[in-house]
Amino acid sequence: MEFTLIVVLVIALALFFDFTNGFHDTANAMATPIATGAMRPKVAVAVAAVLNLVGAFLSTEVAKTISSGLIKEGSGGVLITPTMIFAGLVGAIIWNLITWLYGLPSSSSHALFGGLIGAAIVGAGFGSVDYVVLLDKVILPAALAPITAGFVAYCATKLAYAITRRYDGLPDGRAGFRFAQIFSSSLVALAHGTNDAQKTMGVITLVLISAGVLSPGSNPPVLVITACALAIAIGTYTGGWRIIRTLGKGLTDVKPAQGFAAETSTAATILASSHLGFALSTTQVASGSVIGSGLGRRGSSVRWGTAGRIGLGWLMTLPAAAIVGAITALIGLLGPVGVIIDLVIAVGVIVLIFVISKRNNVDARNALEGVSEVAESGRVVKIRKVKPKNARRDAA
Amino acid sequence: MTDIDWVSFLLVAGAAIVAACLVVALFAFGLRMLSTAGKAPHVTPAEFTDAITIVTPAEAAAEAKRIRRAAKKNPLSAGQKRLALIVAYACFSLCAVVILFGIYLIIPALHG
Repeated sequence: MEFTLIVVLVIALALFFDFTNGFHDTANAMATPIATGAMRPKVAVAVAAVLNLVGAFLSTEVAKTISSGLIKEGSGGVLITPTMIFAGLVGAIIWNLITWLYGLPSSSSHALFGGLIGAAIVGAGFGSVDYVVLLDKVILPAALAPITAGFVAYCATKLAYAITRRYDGLPDGRAGFRFAQIFSSSLVALAHGTNDAQKTMGVITLVLISAGVLSPGSNPPVLVITACALAIAIGTYTGGWRIIRTLGKGLTDVKPAQGFAAETSTAATILASSHLGFALSTTQVASGSVIGSGLGRRGSSVRWGTAGRIGLGWLMTLPAAAIVGAITALIGLLGPVGVIIDLVIAVGVIVLIFVISKRNNVDARNALEGVSEVAESGRVVKIRKVKPKNARRDAA
Repeated sequence: MTDIDWVSFLLVAGAAIVAACLVVALFAFGLRMLSTAGKAPHVTPAEFTDAITIVTPAEAAAEAKRIRRAAKKNPLSAGQKRLALIVAYACFSLCAVVILFGIYLIIPALHG
């Protein structure tokens, strides 16, 4: 097989998936610093984009299998064809865009696994999926990740407030956490870059290997690394403002100390998970941290309705992406004509989602609800603030 | 019949708690010492993302003034303040070391 249409399509789609991945995950690192005003929104996404770009070059160790063992690949198992990868990517991209439309932070890896599983079931039957691995690597970690991160963030937030709480009337200096947030959120962005760009590099490299362009076992070529790094960085810079709104404002009102605690917990949990061999999803860890930090601060509340919607989104990610992947794979079985039909439908759906999103556009200016109009009017109209006696102590 | 690795999960959870709490505690204690030394940081938001925390330049100046005035009333002696300041900077440095260790862990080239 040489450089056929399907290979080109898979590479293009993989890069687009990488873009949606960056776009979806900006919020993990940057929602809280934007919410507390540690960084200007545009600056925050630019920093995240640069760190993702750098991160993508730092770590180029690619996975041996696309699906990390979810699908029984290799000898005696299923041969994952480029058409199946194509279908899986379509499923992942469409689900990523739908969750973005609803402002739900959801795991891009789960979407990719879901899409691939759907495609594999259509291509090779239900026996092609390793359900034990599915339970161990996807479903259980999905429940454990937010709980763990939430608990870590809860403890860290409690600690941050307890240590800085003063009863002697001196200023508590909690605004200083805003400065620290720049570093903690950057750490999360860097960790994300080293993890996530690799997924796409792995997909592209494996497709190139299966197409015979690269010899088996080779590392991704510089061109592939650069393309993936750029795709994820551009995606990050574009910023999924809807998801930033949800994480920065929708779950709980974030204060600097809380934001710092949440970001540190996210970074610590992700680093621990990637170095001690228990993979957890960045998105789920970040969402859990924000909820945990909301529980940890006195007088703050968590909007459980939003948390529930996010949880529902997580539950649906795998099956929904699998269904889209399965349908795409089914049409793709028709051969090149089917792939073209798939492509036309997929592009149509993507364009449709963007058109719908324009109805209530969310961007850097209005990502955090009520920002633009009220905040701007506030500079003209003096808003009288009611200050209880010890407001300062709990406000920062 | 799942063979989920609970040991490594507990290890991850434990390490995450210890690391996150360490960093947060160090930074928070540093801030507390800064405040004790009469140098509470005054960081206004880069951009006001919610209507409640709007701070006008005048208000920011007033807050800075309030911090300076509070510092004057500080009962600590000059030596005690200096000690608090040294402890604060030591905390921030330690915090930076832990963050650097995080970067070390992120970059595979550094640890093989």
